[in-house]
Formats: sequence, C-alpha cells, structure tokens
Amino acid sequence: MTKARETKGPDDIGCLEAIESLYAYLDGEIGDPQSRAAFEEHLGHCRSCFSRLELERRLAEHARKAARSSAPQALRSRLKGLLEKI
Amino acid sequence: MDALYGAAVRLTRNAADAEDLVAESVARAWSAIDTLADFRRFRAWMFRILRNCFISEHRKRSARPAETRVEELFADEGEHDLTSLLLDQPEEFLAWWSNPELRLSNELLGERIMVAIEDLPECFRTTVLLITVEGLGYDEAAAVLGVPAGTVRSRMKRGRTLLQKALWEHARDAGLAGAGPLRETST
Repeated sequence: MTKARETKGPDDIGCLEAIESLYAYLDGEIGDPQSRAAFEEHLGHCRSCFSRLELERRLAEHARKAARSSAPQALRSRLKGLLEKI
Repeated sequence: MDALYGAAVRLTRNAADAEDLVAESVARAWSAIDTLADFRRFRAWMFRILRNCFISEHRKRSARPAETRVEELFADEGEHDLTSLLLDQPEEFLAWWSNPELRLSNELLGERIMVAIEDLPECFRTTVLLITVEGLGYDEAAAVLGVPAGTVRSRMKRGRTLLQKALWEHARDAGLAGAGPLRETST
C-alpha cells in the first residue's frame, strides 16, 4: 500500500492540499477561481491525484447512470388530474 | 418529474409508495407555491418537500430507526480519518479503477454501484444521492436535509469512503482486483 507522495514544486499546491480539495472540486464547491486553477495545475502533472479524481468521477458517473428512472405514465396522468382539480 | 420519481423510489424502495409520495409532494408544493421566494431554488425546495412528506407519512409507518442513531456510530471519526483513507488507497486500486479500457470493471461498477449506495446508512445514502445523483450543491442539500452545510460535507466524505470500501471488497472478491485490503485507518 502506498501513500500519496508530496510532489510539491515552487507554485504547486502539493498532493496533500490537492486531496483535501478533491471532493469540493468534484462537487463544484471551489468558488475561488485561483484555488480551482491551482488544483487543476496540480492534476496536470500528478498521476496519483489525477487517478483519485478519476476514481471519484467514475463513481459518480456510474451512480447517475444506475439511478436514472422514468416516472410511469400512470403517475403523469394522476398528477395531471390532481393539478386540474386544485 | 423523473428526478422526483427516482428520488421517491429510492426513499420508499417501492414503486407504488413512490407514486403516492410524488403525488402527495406535488399537491403540497402546489398549495405552497406562494412561499417559494426564489424560483432558482425550486429543485431543492421540491426535494425538501418530498423528503418531508416521506418522513411525516411513510417513515413513521415503517418505524425505521432514527437517523441520528446512525450518525452516532460515526461520531468519533474526524475529518483526519477520512482524508487518511483517501491517502491510503492502494495504487493498485486506483490503477484498476481509473483504467477506462477495463470493460469488466465498468460492468461490475454499473451493477454494484446502486447496491452499494442502497446499503449505506440512511443519512449518508440520502446525502450522496442528493449531491451525486441529483446534482444539488452542498447548500441546497443542507436546506433539503435541514442540517448545516458542514454536515453535508462530512456525510459526503464518509459516504464516499464507505462506497469505495464496499466496491473494492466486491472487486477483490470477484477476483478483479488484488488481495490487498483497503485499509481504514484506526486512530
């Protein structure tokens, strides 16, 4: 089992900081453009952190696909009737 | 409509109950539409009504355990532990997961992901579904769930960690990944 390496250059946020920001980045919760750019810059040259992000992205993608469902026609008709009554 | 129905199915785990829940929620939302101050928040508002209807009508009947009890089980686990798990993921796991050409792993994930999500304790399951599947922001999910955004953040971390662990163990048992355990740090 290997741990993330701290591959920090002069302007690089480094692996530890990148991992701390990973979920916020994935969920679109990094509001500051500079922080977002710094994270993306790190991903550009760090295969390990890129893999971690990719792992989470694919997990989310599979979850969205698996959860997709269509409301049955009977429910649509029922709601139409309900809203007409109201 | 589809998203609302999908969320209802996942809450009730039953198609007929899901239809009743959606109908009830839409009726309640329609009668309270004047209270919605910002229509950009309609989606989150609708999910909140759906969840409240579920809690008040359906969960009472099925006498499910209180949500807080589940969170108490994880009360001792801090942010550090969650980050440590992410740091400690074996490279082999990362390589397996991030290989886009590994069709078998894609099929496995497709089949297992919702099972793994369904197996999450409710507070984590609902949060993961709202953020990951429905695409709500942390603030919106916090409003739906009636908890602070920080709680949403920590529930997401914990939920994701549990999902990774479940999927890794499944992959390992299916012989698709190495025998090494996905270690969870104990502090």
